[in-house]
Amino acid sequence: MTAYILHLAILVGIHIILAVSLNLIIGYAGQVSLGHAAFYGIGAYVSALLALHLAAPFLLCLAAAGLVAGVCGLGLGLPTLRLKEDYLAIVTLGFGVIVDIILLNLGITGGPDGLVGIPAPVILGLSFRPQPRFLALTALLTLLVLALAAALVRSYHGRALRAIRDHEVTAQVLGINTPAYKVAVFTLAAALAGLAGSLYAHYITFINPESFGLHTSILVLSMVILGGMGSLMGSVVGAFLLTVLPELFRQFKDYQDLAYGALLVTLLIFRPQGLLGGGKLSLKFLRQGG
Amino acid sequence: MVNRPACLPARETDTQPGRLGFPMFVQQLINGLTTGSAYALIALGYTMIYGILGLINFAQGELYMCGAFVAVLLLATGQVGLVGAFLAGMLAAALLGVALERVAFRPLRGSHPLVPLLSAIGASIFLQSLALLLFGPSDRPFPVQLEFRTVEVAGLPVSSLQGLILLTALGFMALLLVFVRYTRYGKAIIACALDRDTARLMGINVDRMVALTFLVGSALSGAAGILMAMYYNATYPRMGLLPGLKAFSAAILGGVGNIPGAIVGGLLLGVAESLGAAYLSSGYKDAVAFVILILVLLLRPQGILRGKGH
Repeated sequence: MTAYILHLAILVGIHIILAVSLNLIIGYAGQVSLGHAAFYGIGAYVSALLALHLAAPFLLCLAAAGLVAGVCGLGLGLPTLRLKEDYLAIVTLGFGVIVDIILLNLGITGGPDGLVGIPAPVILGLSFRPQPRFLALTALLTLLVLALAAALVRSYHGRALRAIRDHEVTAQVLGINTPAYKVAVFTLAAALAGLAGSLYAHYITFINPESFGLHTSILVLSMVILGGMGSLMGSVVGAFLLTVLPELFRQFKDYQDLAYGALLVTLLIFRPQGLLGGGKLSLKFLRQGG
Repeated sequence: MVNRPACLPARETDTQPGRLGFPMFVQQLINGLTTGSAYALIALGYTMIYGILGLINFAQGELYMCGAFVAVLLLATGQVGLVGAFLAGMLAAALLGVALERVAFRPLRGSHPLVPLLSAIGASIFLQSLALLLFGPSDRPFPVQLEFRTVEVAGLPVSSLQGLILLTALGFMALLLVFVRYTRYGKAIIACALDRDTARLMGINVDRMVALTFLVGSALSGAAGILMAMYYNATYPRMGLLPGLKAFSAAILGGVGNIPGAIVGGLLLGVAESLGAAYLSSGYKDAVAFVILILVLLLRPQGILRGKGH
């Protein structure tokens, strides 16, 4: 039972990193990405391949996962972020499908069978195979990502991003280099998703393309919307709820996607800001009672 | 809910890529036009809705699936003829499209453009999983065995099924063009797409025109679904996912908001995909459309024929 709770806690941590990074794109910069799982997958595969083939140390794998995913994000973002939100949604979705197809067809990625026997992280001779230690590692990384995101959204750059989200033309008139900002935040978010992928690969020790398809992109999107676009605490809550609730309601597994779809539409109509939305990173909503 | 593009029963890839030559090229061309005509029909829905509302109806692929399921289920009862089932499938898709507009789009008009897009994604997931619950995940064959043979057209082999699909699809496209150009309602739709406020001042009921656009666009998507259910001999809940996405690429390729552009884009995309699968690699068949999409957006974002939406 303890093992199970630890397992869930580790997954919650990984999902928080994913949701927070996607929220930077959607909630702060106002752009849609429907291919976030692709960066997660790229990170997972890069990290796993380095560990399996080159026996690279974990920290190197982790860094490489973030770097490669970030570079892919940059490569996708540069040409496409000039587009309107809805075009971008389809392009990122298409990117997700392309990555999925490549993972399925390449020899080195093991095709549909994926990669097995990914080693547990070892840092300075300390193995993170035991679950409590892995949880500590995940928690540390999650907190770092949250701190980074919080610092970003509070800074001048965070305000610039929100200005782009609220009115791009006005932001431009105010002298904000909107394409550069959008590409930068997209790259950063892709890199963070890559880190999450690396953690996932070394925790589960077995990966295949199924974990990184459209389903995962939509799951992360649901976390962001449920928690509230533009609220980092919201993403934490969204990631927690959508990781734990499906476990509690295991017997209704068949209805899970149905519920997600209905949840998205209803939330957007009746409470588009999500549970904690409003664009503020604070617990003020608690004091104000919503 | 992982997209497994590889499991699409691809009837057109049975020719070996190794044997090149003119007959195979023509065969692939015809295969491409056949699937392309379905993409074109769905792309018309996208483009019309985009033209009038400026938003993407992400659930277009689910309307395609709905049309196919209704037709197949009706045919399976043995009580309804092919034409009747076809029309019923189109009608069901059309009504579902109008309902969708009411539930998932209309309440959100005027909000940030992200919001209706996300709500359409939600609707799409909802409909897909609803179909999964109602009909189960397995493929359903087309209930009517259609007698088809290969006929020679100008010395080239064409399966009469492909001929029928192509002709039907082209017929619908022609009907749509006539509807938009020469009828009062068609012209009213165009007026709303050009300038909604002015159209309203001219006494056009914009809400009704939006609903009519959804009705027509969804009926066409439903028709595409039925045609492809016949072609691939398979109907399943996720059947609309990839065709829907590809048709969107087709709409962009032709210029979003441009009706002839959607037709050209759809046919071109089908052909490109078919040739790509035959001459490059069949494993990457489903990636072709998206590579084209990204290239178009890079090189000519307004599409081949200039579209209204940029």
